[in-house]
Amino acid sequence: MSGYTEAEKEVIATKAWDTALLKRLLGYAKPHKWLFFQSFLVILGLFALDLAGPYVLRRAIDGPVAEALVEPESGEVLADAAVPEDTDEQLRRLGLHALLYLTIMLAAGGFRYLQAVQLGRTGQAVIHDLRTHLFRHMQRQDLAWYDARPTGALVTRVTGDIENLNELFTSGLIVLVFDFVKIFAILAILFTLDSQLALFVLALTPLLVVTSLGFRGGARRAHRVVRARLADLNGYLQEVLSGIRVVQMFRREERVAGRFAGLLGSYFRANLRTILLFALFFPSIEFLTIVIKGAIVWRGGSSILTGALTMGVFFQFWFYLQHYLNPIRELGERYNVMQQAFASSERVFHILDTEPEVGPPAAAKRPEPFRGRVAFDRVSFSYLEGTPVIEDISFEIPAGDTVAIVGATGAGKSTLVNLLLRFYDPSAGTVSIDGIDLRELDPTEHRSHLGLVQQEDFLFTGTVRENLALGRASVSDASIARALEVSCAGDVVRRLPGGLDAEVAERGVTLSTGERELLAIARALAADPHVVILDEATSSVDSGTEARIEEATHNLLRGRTALVVAHRLSTVRRADRILVLHKGRLREQGTHEELLEQGGLYAKLYALQFRDADDTARAG
Amino acid sequence: MRRLWTFFRRFLVHRKILFAGFLTIPLGSLADIWLTLEIGDGLNRLRNSDDTTFLRGLFFSLVAIAFVRGVFRFLQRWWIVGVSRRVEADLKQDLFDKLASLPFAFHNKSRTGDIVSRLTSDVENIRMFLGPGMMYVLGALTLVPTSLFVLMRLEPRLVLFMLLPIGLMGLGVRALVPRLHRISTQVQESLADISHHAQETFAGVRVVKGYGVDAQQVGRFETASRENRDHQIRLSRVRGMMDAITHTAFNLTFLPILFVGGMAMIDRSLAAGDLFKFIDLTLKVFWPVISLGWMAGMYPRALVSAERIDTLLNERAEIEEGAGTRELDEVRGELALQRVSFLYPDTSEPALQGVSVQIPAESSLGVVGPTGSGKSTLLNLLGRMFDCQGEIRLDGVPIRDLSLSSLRGAIAYVPQDSFLFSETWRDNVGLGAPDGELSDERLQELAERACIAEDVAGFPDGYEQLIGERGVTLSGGQRQRTCIARALAKDPPVLVLDDCLSAVDTETEAQLIHNLRAAGQGRTVVLAAHRLSAVRHADRILVLNGGRVEAQGTHGELLDASPWYRETWDRQRAEEELEELS
Repeated sequence: MSGYTEAEKEVIATKAWDTALLKRLLGYAKPHKWLFFQSFLVILGLFALDLAGPYVLRRAIDGPVAEALVEPESGEVLADAAVPEDTDEQLRRLGLHALLYLTIMLAAGGFRYLQAVQLGRTGQAVIHDLRTHLFRHMQRQDLAWYDARPTGALVTRVTGDIENLNELFTSGLIVLVFDFVKIFAILAILFTLDSQLALFVLALTPLLVVTSLGFRGGARRAHRVVRARLADLNGYLQEVLSGIRVVQMFRREERVAGRFAGLLGSYFRANLRTILLFALFFPSIEFLTIVIKGAIVWRGGSSILTGALTMGVFFQFWFYLQHYLNPIRELGERYNVMQQAFASSERVFHILDTEPEVGPPAAAKRPEPFRGRVAFDRVSFSYLEGTPVIEDISFEIPAGDTVAIVGATGAGKSTLVNLLLRFYDPSAGTVSIDGIDLRELDPTEHRSHLGLVQQEDFLFTGTVRENLALGRASVSDASIARALEVSCAGDVVRRLPGGLDAEVAERGVTLSTGERELLAIARALAADPHVVILDEATSSVDSGTEARIEEATHNLLRGRTALVVAHRLSTVRRADRILVLHKGRLREQGTHEELLEQGGLYAKLYALQFRDADDTARAG
Repeated sequence: MRRLWTFFRRFLVHRKILFAGFLTIPLGSLADIWLTLEIGDGLNRLRNSDDTTFLRGLFFSLVAIAFVRGVFRFLQRWWIVGVSRRVEADLKQDLFDKLASLPFAFHNKSRTGDIVSRLTSDVENIRMFLGPGMMYVLGALTLVPTSLFVLMRLEPRLVLFMLLPIGLMGLGVRALVPRLHRISTQVQESLADISHHAQETFAGVRVVKGYGVDAQQVGRFETASRENRDHQIRLSRVRGMMDAITHTAFNLTFLPILFVGGMAMIDRSLAAGDLFKFIDLTLKVFWPVISLGWMAGMYPRALVSAERIDTLLNERAEIEEGAGTRELDEVRGELALQRVSFLYPDTSEPALQGVSVQIPAESSLGVVGPTGSGKSTLLNLLGRMFDCQGEIRLDGVPIRDLSLSSLRGAIAYVPQDSFLFSETWRDNVGLGAPDGELSDERLQELAERACIAEDVAGFPDGYEQLIGERGVTLSGGQRQRTCIARALAKDPPVLVLDDCLSAVDTETEAQLIHNLRAAGQGRTVVLAAHRLSAVRHADRILVLNGGRVEAQGTHGELLDASPWYRETWDRQRAEEELEELS
């Protein structure tokens, strides 16, 4: 579904660190470096406050509490001993420490909130940029590019993949960088607290890191197997669902259930492997943690006894140890986020690196004044090399004339339309307008001069007005009103609840085929184009609508240069010239009467495609 | 909750492992607490003696307890999560079996994506809640009360003070939950907007580009993206508040430890090692308490999923249940339709109306008519993919009275969509064979009769060629001919072909029809077709229009009797002629 083969996906999925990719991603972060800087400040502040809490605790225990306790000469602590008179001073100082602790924790709460907001803002800022940039780039792609890719996969690029990148910038990159900062900072602090204990921690750390990293590799491989098995399982499920009729008609329910059970079995076994890994990993890490802590108690206990370590510092050490071990433990988790994000960014960059073939030239020309004389000069085109769709076609449409193209299905009619719209460039020959090769024009600018009416024209979610205007600056309310009348679509709109403001497409009113066709003509007329491209619908409509469509078509073509893929008799009759295409070649041309007289291909086609209409016309 | 209970019963199937797993949870928690108490007592002992030799012993007993604890934690995961995966597999298999047995009418109205999501995310929601979720809850429910109990015995006042911020946290979080839900929904909706907008622009790319309105579309997309960004930032605010509240509340439990504990130490009712127990156990209960919150968040989702799966499991296999039990020993293949009408659910126009036709054994019937005239529906009714009004009889027996295997065993069917599995060519054709196995000779014979032998010989792996995405992609014509070979493999008394020649060229069509006529000797053949040339030799041809029989007769008779037939025949001949011109 993603537009990649399985093999490609596998290659993409295995990459876990890619400096070049990262550099490129950071390019998108650059415009927001101030936000990133702020994020670092907030994280730094929170980190400092988190460390300050245990420090206050230590000062309280080593300060007022310890002073109160050393009061008796013996140094013995007896629960029943009389409490000395002057502990008030110590209690007051203890209270001050508590107040300080409260202040620090409330401030930490504020910073924690700021951290979430700051990371959210930063990630979203980058993501919004990247997403719009990607969408704009996709918009520039050739039609051929779109034809080769399922829409769903393209949508995933601007949604799911972009979301993964959000993770990369926030919980991935920023936190990862800071985790390293934390690990080294705390280690340094531990050394200042008690170098002997810190040395122990440092000595045992490699065990933890090796376990964590070793597990990471195993888990990655195991997860990949699980994903592949799950894809097989779901793929088979979908296949059976879409072929359920065959399964049931051939009474093969048991056979497919057996096959499903087999796939389910391998999926289950793959899962067991990851469960085993995780079941081993978490307890092992925790075991190692306790070994480190046990060693701290052993060595620290001796130091407390000798007076080299105070109880308060021991507690502080204990708290900091937690801050030190957590990020190490979570390295694997960060790694996963990074890996997913890298896979996504690779897919995104793959698109960003694809340049459209049909693009604006360095210095685009513009026909001035725009007359609208269209010429095809020895034009050939093939979608696939070696199988030409049209070959060596030449014709001219003088400004203001209508040329109708007729031919059987697959004769190459819509290819001519696509070439004039410059959806593709010809493989040989030139298409020109007012004597300028289309390749020398800016395609978007060029298309904005054309009025296009397609079969089953696409309606976007939104109001009728929005669909008629399509956001074009040249279209005003007045021109829409005029276009509606000229295209006989005024009644259609008046009938709708809300008129021009009625919602169409998915959430809105339903329109009949004929009404859609009228609106499509209105859409083209709204910008009062010089050149019209009309691909007539083949579907039949009731006679009332048919008459209105004929009139609208007549108004649309009058006084404009027009290329029409014709299916209506009235249209071919009125055309200044008819081109007869057959198997990609221009076989006959002339007016309706001339061609009928010739008794060639056109006469045959006429019998096939237009005679019914002719009969009805004559009967009516 | 009752709904989830029915799924929990599936866990109970593996009750021995499950209960063993449940047992390891409190044992692990106790070991955890024991570790803290050992260290605390060790610290207390420091005050009372100058002897440090016990510290070495303490270290080794800590390591020993930690090891035992590790074993419990390992078994807990291995057993409970393992059972949850086993239940997942059982549930998926049951769902799949159910799906395979549900009548075609069900599949016709449901969307594949929806069903797949029931078998994936819904099953996963339930597994997570009842498996690992239950594990975390039980862990929290044993660790937290036991810790409280232990600490209460040391200094009850302190425990009460510590519970205060935790209670406040609960209130704060509860107050924020509705907001979190609301904004999450907005984020989801704005994401859906982005995706809808992208989808629409990509699908309507011809209009967008054709009108040169690329920039306007980018503008609309940018607005949607910006809206999503703003909602996301609002979401991170609420999340940040939640985060701040939980962490601050947790940190504030250390305030009474500092102040009340400090006072208790000053008045010597609490020793330093006891203070350590307070600190260490508080550190240990934090994540379990948070995990209870996660579980509370998962609960509604699990409930919805349970309902969706339940609905599917309780779906009735109407046709299966309503099927008769009569078996036909020897099928002659005489079919009779009497005033057959059919209305698809949720439609107003009947797809078939009062269709009556006699198909004598070993004769052939062509079914033609414009698109949407009911050809496929008629063919589907023969194999009882749907139940209809009126009556269809096979060898004089109403098909409703026949067992499904007897009825469908008598019919070989070639579907219009030429569905093939992503399996080998041999397996695909073998699907039709009664025992699923085909000898090479038989396979060769079938391939020749279906006019596909040459194509298969050209495949890199011949008969063993994998079809589909991972193998070769067959052309429409190759698919159709493979489907015909599959049907012929069944060697059935009745052969039903649904417009299965549309994608083969005229020449192959003629050859195929010749072969099919030969293969049709001794069987009843029903053939729907778009091209009249495919049915012209049929013993009888039925012309359908709007679900009604417009005419029936032989090719020759229909040329005179049916204007539609005559016109279509002429038109198709003209098209062929045009096609032949070069």
